[in-house]
Amino acid sequence: MKKLSVILLVLFLGMNANAQDIEASRDTSKRLEEVKIIGVAKRKIETDMKMAVSVDEFLASSENISFIKRGAYAWEPLLNNMSSERSTLTIDGMHIFGACTDKMDPITSYVESNNLSTIDIKSGQEGSLHGATIGGSIDLKRKNTPFGLEKKFSGAYQTGFEFNNKQFFNLANASYAGDKIVADGSISFRKADNYFDGNQDEVNHSQYNKFNTSLALAYKISPLSSVRVDAIFDQAKDVGYPALPMDLWLSRAIITSASYKQLFEEGLVRVWDTKLYFNAIEHYMDDTTRPENLVHMDMPGWSTTYGLVSNINLQKDRYSSEIQLNAYENVSIAEMRMYPQDRNKRTMFAYSWPWVTTRFTGLSMNNSWEISDRSQLNFGGSLGLNYNHSKYVEFNWIFHPGAPQEKNRLLPGLHASYQLSIDQFDFSVGTGYGQRAPSVSEGYGYYIYNSFDRYDYIGNPDLKDEISYEANASAGFKNEKLSIEGKVNYFHIQNYIIGRVLSLGSPMNYQSVGVKGYTSLSHARLFNMSLNANYDILHHLHWKGTLNYARGTDDKDGNLPFIRPLNYQTSLHWMYNKFSFQTSVSGDFTQENYSPEYGEDQTPSYMIWNISADYNFNFKSFKTVLQVGAENVTNKYYSTYADWGNIPRMGRNIFTSLKVNF
Amino acid sequence: MKKIILFLAAVCFAVASCTKEKTDYEAEIDTVVTEHYEFKEAASINSEDYKISIEALNGTFYKGYNEIHLIITNTQNNEKVNVSAATFLPIMTHADGSNISCPHQYDLLYKPDDNYFSGYSVFTSESNVNEEWELYISFTVANQTYTAKQSISVQDQPNKNLNMTAFTGKDDEQYFIALVSPQKPKIAENELVAGIYKFNKSTNSPSGTFPDPSQFSYTEVSGYTLMLDPRMPEPSMGNHSSLNNKNLVQQSDGLYHGVVNYTMTGNWTLNFIMLNQNGQILKGTKVPGDFTPGVEGVKSELYIDILF
Ligand SMILES: [Cu+2]
Repeated sequence: MKKLSVILLVLFLGMNANAQDIEASRDTSKRLEEVKIIGVAKRKIETDMKMAVSVDEFLASSENISFIKRGAYAWEPLLNNMSSERSTLTIDGMHIFGACTDKMDPITSYVESNNLSTIDIKSGQEGSLHGATIGGSIDLKRKNTPFGLEKKFSGAYQTGFEFNNKQFFNLANASYAGDKIVADGSISFRKADNYFDGNQDEVNHSQYNKFNTSLALAYKISPLSSVRVDAIFDQAKDVGYPALPMDLWLSRAIITSASYKQLFEEGLVRVWDTKLYFNAIEHYMDDTTRPENLVHMDMPGWSTTYGLVSNINLQKDRYSSEIQLNAYENVSIAEMRMYPQDRNKRTMFAYSWPWVTTRFTGLSMNNSWEISDRSQLNFGGSLGLNYNHSKYVEFNWIFHPGAPQEKNRLLPGLHASYQLSIDQFDFSVGTGYGQRAPSVSEGYGYYIYNSFDRYDYIGNPDLKDEISYEANASAGFKNEKLSIEGKVNYFHIQNYIIGRVLSLGSPMNYQSVGVKGYTSLSHARLFNMSLNANYDILHHLHWKGTLNYARGTDDKDGNLPFIRPLNYQTSLHWMYNKFSFQTSVSGDFTQENYSPEYGEDQTPSYMIWNISADYNFNFKSFKTVLQVGAENVTNKYYSTYADWGNIPRMGRNIFTSLKVNF
Repeated sequence: MKKIILFLAAVCFAVASCTKEKTDYEAEIDTVVTEHYEFKEAASINSEDYKISIEALNGTFYKGYNEIHLIITNTQNNEKVNVSAATFLPIMTHADGSNISCPHQYDLLYKPDDNYFSGYSVFTSESNVNEEWELYISFTVANQTYTAKQSISVQDQPNKNLNMTAFTGKDDEQYFIALVSPQKPKIAENELVAGIYKFNKSTNSPSGTFPDPSQFSYTEVSGYTLMLDPRMPEPSMGNHSSLNNKNLVQQSDGLYHGVVNYTMTGNWTLNFIMLNQNGQILKGTKVPGDFTPGVEGVKSELYIDILF
């Protein structure tokens, strides 16, 4: 690890030195910040209801994201009702892998809302730009201040308090936008106690404590090129996971990158952006806080990744294209050390991730061609090579004697979609084909305890690639007052990876009831549907509604687990002078299609009501917003289909926050 | 700018060094297991013009199974002697003067390639004030038989993977099971080798000069089966077991070979059921297969504990 940071340091300095040579030889009047990169309109990291949200809360406001929740912190995002192994989760295209075998640390837990500008969610194969995927991609985009803004210094400070779990947070960020140098920095602290459910009962072990800071420096080496170094440091300490038999003592992540960007004024190639990155995560669980644990077990985990992402943007007339090279290497290590009752005696040791190396190299391409003013064709593909190596393969041989220590997989992907707009109507149809390799746990995990179904999970190095066939369509209508959009997608996934009870072996973890091995179902089917509508009732009164439906079945037409039941959200937004008021109602219907086979029970329906009010004013010359609101106003006691262990969600929560922009 | 980068790099350094060190897996097992490969002299006897050198692993006799090499040299010219036969008999004397032996190979085998005699001895206890071990050796050179004896020190076996057990079977015979291999198990399928021995009760009374070998006769049993069920006995492990284990059956070397699969390091109990050549249980009980967290694992009445 130390060696790597030296390499990185040399790279940083090397790039910087190199940069100055180029600067002298270039002189054009064109300014860097004027060139716009194709992409999505940026969404602010705040929801309709709440301006000071966590990354999780922000993601939750997107219709194709649902969550598995193991407590109040670090929710696992599910895209298209598929677990996180089926999506690529990246930060600015950088691959990062959590260091926890129990998924306590999805990547989203290592960033903070004040160092992100937006989150880019792509469904299915459209998300293959960042590497092989089935469900799609979630790319967390960091703040990236352009060069030479008129306002050199800007920033924001945000503080708030949430009454239910006494969450107190302080977030600050600042940026400097010089002609040659740009700097972005952020710092944040969050601390929360246990929360209380709708019955006013304290949910023990739901506290958390998070510190996050980031710094980015960019330097313009010529009018058309720049270098940038970035670092995020995140530390979570004493985080409770009420649904798990253990908590987190400490988790730390360092996420760094150095990038070089070159713009071109003419020709086919418009932008070339190359980034080298390195990130390291350490994760230490703690079960000594739980008196019910008669056994003490250490479960440290480490994940180290370095990689390269290089992106070229092509444009010619009505055609534009993005080509991206992704290469990374990750080493995942997780240990189990169990302590005997007589602490003087010998401890017991095994690896839950036996030093598993994953190397991926892939080339992806997304093209879009505007056939006419009304229609557009998007198409693309990806081809990746995935290599796995298990250093202590003897752990994998226990259940899979003779399994190969190394494995290569070729992962192709293809997709195409056609968009058509006729007057006020929009239509699209698309299709895709893709493959993914098993994750480290699915391929090489060893006695990983899953507290949801209470089984120990064993990976299988010989699992086949998952193959997905996908179709999607959407239709929308828009006029001045009303917009409606409906979207459907359907996935037929061959070799669907899931845990099945093994008649072999016996459990190892204290609370476990048996052993499950990751196996492939011959196929599984997933269907997602969403309906969105916006209506401007009055000039300052807006209504919004969402309805989502999903269905997932296995090869015997049984239900897949973690498929969100029919759910809705509806909200009203009213602005009056410097005030604005929001109210929303959201809920899930009864979970009809639950899966007892995979440890689920039926979750009853629930409905919760939220309200909030903002007041905008100028404090001295600073634009200031004050917000007060309440979530779950009626103090409903509920838990959702994906609450691990049916842990109840938060009861009534009054929140306040203040944001000062300068 | 450079300063800031340096600062960033310094942060990298500080952070990239882990809070807790990773386990050195290769060294993990070494902390409780020392593997010995080398035969060294454990005892030597001078008898007339001959020196008898008895070699054992690490130059030490341990409780349990010991492979024995016997080398006889002429003290006059320091050359190895052409010995036609050699016998080996360990005798333990109790404080009250009574004697017993232990499973051993009486007639040693000559290994022409290495020019030594080979055998084994399964010492059933370590030397102490009440239990003294002596070796009685005889060898024949040019049709003349020489005898010698030497008291030795038998030490406790620190490697639990070479443990042994002694018991009386349902047939009222005295049996001994000693682990031979692996000295240093791995988290994997390990070939498990054990010797099963039986004391041959003597029907006649002692005769000749002491010791009369017929009073101290032990043999490897043949055609038995040792059924194996390895489990972790710690209450925290809840009677954890493993898969793909194989019962021990006899092979041409006279020893019993099977497979034990260890899923993690630590304490394991090898639960046995011993069957004779007719498949009758001579000793051992079936252990419960349930996962019982918090409860110490129930052991068979025939078991050997190991640790690695
Ligand atoms: Cu964890």
